[in-house]
Amino acid sequence: MQRTIIRELERLLGSSGVLSSPEDLLLYEYDGSVEEAGPDAIVFPRRKQDVVEIVKLANRYDLSIVGRGAGTGLSGGALAREGGIVLAFSRMNHILEIDAENQRAVVEPGVVNLDLSRAAEKYGLYFAPDPSSQKSCTIGGNVSENSGGPHTLAYGVTSNHVTGLEVVMPDAKVIRLGGRAMETPGYDLTGLMIGSEGTFALVTEVTVRLLRLPEDVRTLLAIYDSLGDATDSVVDITARGIIPAACEMLDGWTLRAVEAYVHAGFPLDSAAVLLMEVEGVREAAETQADEIIEVCRRHNAREVRRARDARERALLWKGRKEAFGAVGRVSPSYYVLDGVIPRTKLTPTLLRIEEIAKRYGFVIGNIFHAGDGNLHPLILFDHRDRDQFRRARAAGAEIMQLCVEMGGTLTGEHGVGMEKNELMPLMFTETDLDLMRKVRAAFNPVGRLNPGKVLPLGKGCGETRLQPFPQSAGGNA
Amino acid sequence: MSQVAESLASRLAELVGAGRVHTGPKSLAAYEVDGRRPSAALLPSSVAEVAEILCFASAERLAVIPIGGRTHLHIGMPPHRYDLALDVSALNRVLAYEPHDLTLGVEPGITYAELDRNLREKGQFLPLAPPFAERATLGGIVAAAADTPVRYAHGTAKDLLLGAEFVTGEGVISKSGGRVVKNVTGYDLHKLLIGSLGTLAVITRLNFRTFPLPPLQRMFVATFADPLGAMAFCRAIMQSPLQPRVVDVLNPRAAGLFAAYSGGNLGRDSWLAVVEAAGHEKVLERHARDLASMSREAQAAEFIALDEDQREHLFGCLCEFSPIAFGATSAATVFRIAALPSALPALLEETRKLAARHALDCAILIRALGVVYLALLPPANPEAYPELVNCSRELMTLCVTSGVAPMIERCPLEIKNALDIWPPPGTEQEITQRLKHVFDPHRILAPGRFRGGI
Repeated sequence: MQRTIIRELERLLGSSGVLSSPEDLLLYEYDGSVEEAGPDAIVFPRRKQDVVEIVKLANRYDLSIVGRGAGTGLSGGALAREGGIVLAFSRMNHILEIDAENQRAVVEPGVVNLDLSRAAEKYGLYFAPDPSSQKSCTIGGNVSENSGGPHTLAYGVTSNHVTGLEVVMPDAKVIRLGGRAMETPGYDLTGLMIGSEGTFALVTEVTVRLLRLPEDVRTLLAIYDSLGDATDSVVDITARGIIPAACEMLDGWTLRAVEAYVHAGFPLDSAAVLLMEVEGVREAAETQADEIIEVCRRHNAREVRRARDARERALLWKGRKEAFGAVGRVSPSYYVLDGVIPRTKLTPTLLRIEEIAKRYGFVIGNIFHAGDGNLHPLILFDHRDRDQFRRARAAGAEIMQLCVEMGGTLTGEHGVGMEKNELMPLMFTETDLDLMRKVRAAFNPVGRLNPGKVLPLGKGCGETRLQPFPQSAGGNA
Repeated sequence: MSQVAESLASRLAELVGAGRVHTGPKSLAAYEVDGRRPSAALLPSSVAEVAEILCFASAERLAVIPIGGRTHLHIGMPPHRYDLALDVSALNRVLAYEPHDLTLGVEPGITYAELDRNLREKGQFLPLAPPFAERATLGGIVAAAADTPVRYAHGTAKDLLLGAEFVTGEGVISKSGGRVVKNVTGYDLHKLLIGSLGTLAVITRLNFRTFPLPPLQRMFVATFADPLGAMAFCRAIMQSPLQPRVVDVLNPRAAGLFAAYSGGNLGRDSWLAVVEAAGHEKVLERHARDLASMSREAQAAEFIALDEDQREHLFGCLCEFSPIAFGATSAATVFRIAALPSALPALLEETRKLAARHALDCAILIRALGVVYLALLPPANPEAYPELVNCSRELMTLCVTSGVAPMIERCPLEIKNALDIWPPPGTEQEITQRLKHVFDPHRILAPGRFRGGI
């Protein structure tokens, strides 16, 4: 990047607010996905006005900007696909207010998801979306990706918990969408902005709804000798009118990998486990737990365990939340997919995934939010082998196509990013995509924000008008 | 019929068939919006026909208002232009219903009551019960952002709509979202349609998530001498582990209207807090126990559990608040004000003073501790209008200056002629206008009805 631009950025943010050395740039070539793309500089604003000035500068030099939270995203959303500036929100990490009486919090985008729930805990409140990465992912990232998590089955995803946003538009104007109240007259721009993957505007403040911590939580682990029995249980639980707070499944291969690492007590010879949670007032949690146990037994569960205390509960959840880490121990790389199917189609879909695994010669583990049909197949491969990487991508695309065929969608919570933008035509017609392009252009007319994401490339999109990146004078690019 | 009108009618007949074009004054009277009557009403029988109508209207620059059950047409400013009523009531099928997946796809013209009957057969429901359930259509409920007493537990259309298909002002059929309960693929354009009053697109399909019917439900009423007691009771509920599905509060005037409506005698001179719980018997007993003790602490005069008939009745009244107020006087002016729980006591006190100053009666329903429906009830004669206009204007200003977002959901045309029913637009106005231009570049969809003159 031109030295003059770096110097200008440093003047704005101080020298500690800008990274541009090759080693630093390398670190920002990755996020939680299998994608790679490098920026030309990383900047760390501390306040809204910094963001405004960075956007103005980017406009002057015709640079693209990619917002980034903790970089835990799984679809390449925070990668600078066309170079330019990565705007990392990690220093805008203040909880500005917890309004316990009204069950709201106002936060900067870089606040870590779990930190917010921890801060709210003393008021008996928490922030419901709980992605597996909640120890590090940020609220701003959650807003961009419309993140979910295990407990979204009962409580919904990020968009159900955000009432207002402050954003910096690509023309550097600051606007407010929504507010603190339950609703605002006018179009639901907050709802539109959430999940727009950083392609509309840069979020500088988020107002969220906090929920009251439940009085009682019952965590159950059902163990099965057949995957089909486990999926049938899921369907039957819903048919009985029970919506658990969470309903997670691990298949045999995955639970063995997890058990070796976490020692959560999953029996190594089982074909599947269901991790379920019901919560609420004591009487409701109790009755629902009993009903769930009955359903699981009827579907041949070998055993149904109840977590006896908080420690056992935490251990069971550790098995779920650290599953990806466990898989990382047994394979050089893995590719986490994210697709949704109607929950009644779980069994046939899993069989087809097994077929695909055999055909490509990969191990594919399955760990997923069974309650809402949100699958996370894990394709194990070695990224050093380019052919394996290519085949892993192909197998992934085939599984995505399968999800759509089953009546589902391409992503339930990880976003489209640069992983699936070329798969969008599986779900949407060219006219659907064209309207989405126009909506994006209404916010982001020259494609300066997060170019190359969400929508397929190569047709009529604003970002193709973006000028090539100015060549480096200082040797950093 | 003039020659121009005749030629228009025959061209429209080519689009949807002569039997589905109405041009007679009698039929058109039913499609009036704020006293404006369209030149024709069309009843398309397919999405393709909706698209053709909008292509035609766009080319001819004819203003179109999408119409469902005509139960919420009072919302919005008077349209600047109005040539065609696009009545979607013939598009009324359930397109997909998967009870085990808790998902549903419907055409916009199906009525809530009809859909509810379908869902109940499978032990499920869609938590969007609107006023006039027998006539209100799902398309209309979404476009009007109608809410329901159970929003305390289930939210609104924003929380329930999974995806939609719609036709833009240029006649382009488009869709967003999906049909499964969890999905983040692509931009959520369907969110924009909620509460848009038909100003962006004509809805042709809506996908929702459904919910299992609770095994049992019970409604409790606590009565209070003043609003502070009722508010304290509700805040205690909010801060408790209880999970009721309805928490609504009525002022004495509203309670009186409901009593008159139902022939019942629920605390005519009291503030009522209405709470409904759902679940198994043990859960209901727990709610009964805890609510009774909370009501005592909040100095309730009475705390009672309603029987099933009373429950159904009161639930119906809560749904129908706005029409009931309108039934009391055709000049009823109903504000919908979103406010935080902590702001409610001051807002209630200020509005009480304001109404008293203008010598106007006012019925109040506070829904889910977050949305205040406030009905000013003047006598239904034109002499009352100047006072009504003044009071409405002051209330609008009061809300805006205290940072809450009001709108007038229903009022006589005279009020709309004197003041904007929407709050002044904020910093989002520019992007709002650009989005309108993307969906409807020729401004043919319900022009002028929306916030900011859109």
